[in-house]
This record gives sequence, structure tokens and C-alpha cells, in this order.
Amino acid sequence: MSSSTSNSKAVNGKILLAMILVMGGAVLLMRLLYLAMGADANNIMGRVVEAREALPQIVKEPDDLMIFFGSSMVEAGFSPRQFDRELRAKDKTVKSFNFGFGGLNPYFQDYLSRRIRDEFLHNQRRIKLVVIEFNPFQTTTTRWQGANDIVDSFLTMLASDAELWDIAQKDPERGALLFNIKYLRNDISAEMFSSYIGRQIFPQPQPIKIEEPKELIELRSKAGQQLTERFEQDYPNYTDADWYYPWQGGGTIPEERSPETLEWFKKYYSTFQNSANKENARQRRIASADIEGLHFEPLLVDSFINIVNNFQEVADHVEVVIMPRQVGLINYSEAAQTRLNKVVAEIENATGVSIINQQELPQFTADMYRDATHFTRYHGDVEYTRLTVETFAHYFEP
Amino acid sequence: MIFNTPLFFLFFAVFFLCYGFVFLRHKPRVYLIITGSLIFYGAWNYHFIPLLVGSAVADYFIAQAIGTSQDPRHKKRLVTLSIIINLGVLALFKYADFALESVASLLNWAGYPVAMTTLSWVLPVGISFYTFQSLSYTIDVYRGDMKPRKGLAEFVAALSFFPQLVAGPILRARQILPQMHALNWPSWLEAKHAFLLITVGLIKKTGADLLAVPAEAAFAAPETLSTLEVWTGVIAFAGQIYGDFSGYTDMAIGLALLLGFKIPLNFRVPYFAISPVDFWRRWHISLSSWLRDYLYISLGGNRTGHRTRNVLITMLLGGLWHGAAWTFVAWGAFHGVIITATHYLGQLAYFRNFNQSTSRLIKFFKWAITFYLVLISWVLFRAENLSDAMTVFLDMHRFSESATLNIQAIVLFGIVCVWILLTHVMDHFVIKKGESLTQQPWLLWPLLVLGQLLCLLIGEPSNEFIYFQF
Repeated sequence: MSSSTSNSKAVNGKILLAMILVMGGAVLLMRLLYLAMGADANNIMGRVVEAREALPQIVKEPDDLMIFFGSSMVEAGFSPRQFDRELRAKDKTVKSFNFGFGGLNPYFQDYLSRRIRDEFLHNQRRIKLVVIEFNPFQTTTTRWQGANDIVDSFLTMLASDAELWDIAQKDPERGALLFNIKYLRNDISAEMFSSYIGRQIFPQPQPIKIEEPKELIELRSKAGQQLTERFEQDYPNYTDADWYYPWQGGGTIPEERSPETLEWFKKYYSTFQNSANKENARQRRIASADIEGLHFEPLLVDSFINIVNNFQEVADHVEVVIMPRQVGLINYSEAAQTRLNKVVAEIENATGVSIINQQELPQFTADMYRDATHFTRYHGDVEYTRLTVETFAHYFEP
Repeated sequence: MIFNTPLFFLFFAVFFLCYGFVFLRHKPRVYLIITGSLIFYGAWNYHFIPLLVGSAVADYFIAQAIGTSQDPRHKKRLVTLSIIINLGVLALFKYADFALESVASLLNWAGYPVAMTTLSWVLPVGISFYTFQSLSYTIDVYRGDMKPRKGLAEFVAALSFFPQLVAGPILRARQILPQMHALNWPSWLEAKHAFLLITVGLIKKTGADLLAVPAEAAFAAPETLSTLEVWTGVIAFAGQIYGDFSGYTDMAIGLALLLGFKIPLNFRVPYFAISPVDFWRRWHISLSSWLRDYLYISLGGNRTGHRTRNVLITMLLGGLWHGAAWTFVAWGAFHGVIITATHYLGQLAYFRNFNQSTSRLIKFFKWAITFYLVLISWVLFRAENLSDAMTVFLDMHRFSESATLNIQAIVLFGIVCVWILLTHVMDHFVIKKGESLTQQPWLLWPLLVLGQLLCLLIGEPSNEFIYFQF
């Protein structure tokens, strides 16, 4: 070997080492920063992670299983323990779970539903009934564009390695990026981080902000404080989980609370019943989700169809519902209604499931909502869970 | 495959392992460069690999024929053939639709409506760069500025050399071919300088992606923004295109240096320019010098008494080189006009004194006017069409009541301006002090790690390089 070749090898070796050390040092510092900030999947989508971790336990449940899958409207509106209790009163033994998650549009829900499907297939267990919420405003182009900065991060948190590998085979550049985010960046993409920093420097202005009456805000604060203290007294063993197994992914139920606490709840939710709060919430939904225009994103519609197909593989019965809408506050334009009808027909054709439209049921009054879309606890959710029992009890045998 | 992605990092790591440790003899290294470059290019669209290789092979043999021919007329025919092949390919892929649409518009305007079918072909990435590079070889051989070099593989490797293949700098054959023949290894000092350039390039590119957000907002709907926000958007675009393009070329120069190739600077702190002529000595130097040497001088340059005409033709075609649209033509024409105006004013006694003044105030004044003119030109460059450009231009110059001024807008304006200034200060430092920094490892390596950390942390999803489309 000539001396120039050995010299060049030495320099090349140093170059290679420098590449590894510089990149390695930068990655290490980045991971330390994320650690200090608590930026990880558990903190970003804790409820989803906890629900996914509960799957091995769920598949071992001896009773018939029911899963209600959907958005934060399901999270707020469906009480699994009330559902089970009311069915028990009809001599039907069921274990239901709330799989409603805020911040997940159907693209992400598709990946989560695959993880649920995989767990059930792996354990050769079936679900008696899966109810899936089709949420029109979660399926809009506006909603999809709003998720631009989190797509890669959420994908790496939810997709399996095999799914990422499939992406890599079709698009090596994107595949390499996703594996990089998953294994080097602790699931945090640069886009997610910079949009987080950007929001700190430049908070997104609200579309409009109507001031609520001062006395209502004060009462809300006082009632909120009362409810927090009472919660800590009533549930000393609560583990601070976002998806709490003993509650089957749902929330607390009125039967466990004292009359005084229920009175505070009433007071608390009464403070939301003013036109300023409702209009602010409506405007936020228009800006962030096109809730009245409903310009659908084809990718999200396809993803929703995938969700239904995924559950059809492991469930005896799959139903799709469109949950109640606060009629009077949220009003579709004629064109929006036409678009919705078209998408509903598309989903029904692709899945063979008839969508149950609960949007305009008269029993759901404005006082059952705490904002533009979510039910109040112990009132709206109770009524909606009752409706769910009435609608689907026939699937369960005594 | 773009430089600031994990896939490129993987690609380069594997390539470097093979190049630096496995294939140590000359021929295998040349073939490795060709293979690596074609993989790199094929990652976009492998269908265009034959076009790239075909251009190289055609120009290689044409240059050989020019070199051996004794007949000046035959030489001229050969160089004309090379020009027709290179510019023909460029015209077909890049300008055919623009020409057809322009003719159709003209006929419609004249009252003869026609339905013109366009080709709608995909534009091969980097075609404007490698055709100019290849063309420079045959012209140099024709002019006798260099002798044709033996070795087809070396020529293909030089033309397809991946660090500078898709967005330049546009290398002359006489710069790259001797290096491809020698295939020197870098020294450790050069390698450290290369790391510095790559990191600086990455930082500029990362910043450019973030600047794209206010720029996009300003050009998408200027009527909804305040005057300050429109200015912020236009300045942000100036920063974006600078960071994007100069960042890319810094990385290209650094990567090439790690492989032992020395590529000259392509930018020299352009927004510090104090006249339009000065700007073009600092901006995309490899293109402006190419246009000067092969177009402006071929037209007669300063000598024939047609300087104004020659400048205008050169800048018009320079504008058209950037893209097949009237906005680019207007951009080139605008630069042609302001360069000509600078020449004209320079001849006036009063302005001669002004030009030669060493007063800082006058220098600042000259800088401010130049920067303003460059900003106006970027409006033409960035806008979708001339009408949009006019809207942005007018919104920059009238007080808009459609949007209220707020503290966030002021902060953003400040951040954008400071970022551009910082990138220029950083570049100035690298040009002037880069070498001495590489000799201070206790400062260099922490800076490199912090620079990489910054790029790892922040980013935007739309991270394509603007100049790839040219």
C-alpha cells in the first residue's frame, strides 16, 4: 500500500468518524432537549398510547366486547360503564370501551384501528360490536391541512414497522425520514417541533372572540376548582391516566358522586350556556374544521372506509353513526349537505354498512353541549349513552 | 433525493465508504462516481438518465471531433451541432409549452382563436445546469481555450457529478475535468472546511424553509395583509431564495470537497451589494459568469458599441433560463434595465463622484437602493403571473387598511430581517475566516454540532429546493 493511499485512508477515516460524531452529538443533544421538555409519544398522545397498551388486557376480557371508536365527541359522549350497567339491567353481560380520541383525524384513526385489529387477530378474539363515529368535520380538507405539521410524527407513533417499510418501498425518501423520526428523533419530527415553537412565538389568533359575561367566567373558575377538589377526594386511587382501564376509557359516572358534587357540575356547565361561548366555539370549528362548509378530503374519506374495513375483520357487527349535532348553532349550507350525502353514500357503498344519522334527534338540546360539539358530563353523555343502549342492545344476547 | 434528508445522509455515507475505503484505484472510482450520480439522479426520475448520459456522450464525441478537425468551417458546424443538441433538448423539455401557449395567447388576442395542444412533459431535474455545463466544454474546445480530453467515463462522471448535478454551481469543463482525472483526496483541513460549509448550508436551507411561510402568505393573498406584512413576505422570499439556493450550493461545495473536488464559490454575500452590477458579481456567480463568457462576449460584449443591447439580451435570456414564464422574462428584463441604468449613470460626472465616494452614508444609500431594486425583482420572480406581481408591488407601496398592524407583524418583520442579516454575516465570516476557524477545533466542532442540532430541531414540511425546477 502506497503512503498516499494510507494517508488518504487515514483522512477518510477521520472524515467518517467526524460525520458520526457530529451527527451523533447533535442527535444526542436533541434527545436530551426532548427529554427535558417531556416531548414524547406518551405526553403527546397519552390517551392513545394508554388505550393501545390496554389492548392485551381487553382481548382477555371474558364478556362480550363492545368498542365505541371515534373522535373527542365519543370520548365526551359515551360512558362505557353506564352502557354496561344498563345492558346488565336487561340481563345482558357486556364489557364496553370508549375509544374516542381528540386530535386524531381518520388518517390517524385508520392506523390506530389497524393496531386494534392486529391485536384481536393475533389473539383470535372477536368483538361483538364496534360502533364507529363518522365525524363529518374531522374529514374535511381544512382539518387535514391543519394536521400538516404532525402527520409524520403521529404516523410513526401509530404505524407498525412493517407499514413504515411499505411506505419506504414506495417512497424511499419518505420511508427513510419516517424511520429517522421513529428511531432517532423520539417520534418528534422537525415540523412538529418548529410548529410548536412557532405557536409559542406567534399564537394563532382566534377567528373572533366575543367576551363572555365576567360573572359566568368567575363562577366557572370557582366551580372548576370545587370539582377538582371533590374529584381528588372521591377518587384517591386514580392514577392520572388519560385512558383509565377501570373506567374502560370513559369518565366518571353520576352514580358515584354526591348530590352536592352533581349540583356543582350543573353550575359549572350552566356557565357555558351563553351565546358568546357558543359562538366562539362555532367560529373556532369553522376556522379549524370547516364544520359548516364540509369540503371533504378524499384521503380522509378513504381512511374512514379503511377503519370500517379494519374492524369488519375482527367484529361480528360494525355500525357507523353520525353523532348528534347542535342544530341551531351548527348549520350546514345546502352545498355542504349535498357533499355530506355524497360522502355518506360513498362510505355505505364501499363498506356495505348503512350509516345511522343521529344528527338531528330532538332529545339532544343545546344545554347538553358544553361547546359547539361536545356533550356535557352527567347530562349530555348520559342521554347519548342511553340512546346507544337503545340503538344497539339487540346485538347482545341475554 | 435532496441533501437535507436522512435518505441522502444514508446514500452519502454508503457512497463515501465505497469511495474512500473500497474502490481506491482510479478507474473504479470514476465508475463509482458515475454509478452513485446516476442513482442519485434516478431517485427523482430514472427515465431521464439516458438524456443526461446522451448529452454527455454527444458532447464528448463532438469535442473530440472539433479537436481533431483542421477545418474551421467543420469546427463551426460541430459546435453549432452541440449548441443545437443542448439547447434543443432544453427548448423541447422546458420551453415548448411556454412557446405554444404564448403563440396561442397572441393569436387569441389578435382575433384568431386557436386550441393549442401542449406537450405537458415533465421537466428533467437539473437540465438547465447540466446542459450549460456540457455546452461550455464544446465551446471551450472550439474557441481553443482547452484541448479535448480523452476518457469518456471521466467526462460522464464530471457532467453527472452528483453534488452539483441538479442545482449547480455550473462548472466549466476546464474546472472539473482535470480534477476528475487527478482524483485527489482531500486534506484533513479541507475536510474540516467541507464540514463547515455543509453545516452552514444546512442552516441556511432550514431557515429558508421557515421563511417560505410568510413569503407564501404575502404572495397568496397580499390584499388581506397590512403593508408591513407584504414587505415582510417579500423580504422573506428574498431570504428564502438566498438561503435555499446558496445553502444548497454550500452543501454541494462541501460534499464535493469531502470527495476531493474543489468547486468555486457561487455566492458572495449578495445582499451586501451596492449596485445591480455588484449584485450579479455576488449572486449565482457560476451562471452570471457563464452568461458573460458564452453569451455576452459572443454578442460582442462592451466592444461593439452595443453594450446596452447585449446586456439586455443577456439578462433577458438569463431570466428565461430560470423558467419558462413571462414573470422570469420580466425579471431578467428588469435586471437588464437596472444594470444598463447603472452603466449610464456611471458615465455622468455627478454620479461618477457619487460612485467613487468612500462615505459610509453614501455607501449605505447605494446599498439601500440596490436592495430595494433586488426586492422588486424578486416580486416578479416569485409571483404566479405579471398581474399578481403588480398587485404585490402596489400593495408594498400603499398603506393598506384591510389588515391592522399588530405586534406580531412587527416581530416577524424583525425576525426575517435579522435572519437575512445573520446569514450574510455568517457567510462573510466563512469566506473571510473559515480557514482559520478550521484550525481551532475547540470552537469548530461544538459549532458544527450546534449547527446540526438547529437543523435537526426545526424544519418545515415543504422542503424542496426552489432551484431544482430550473
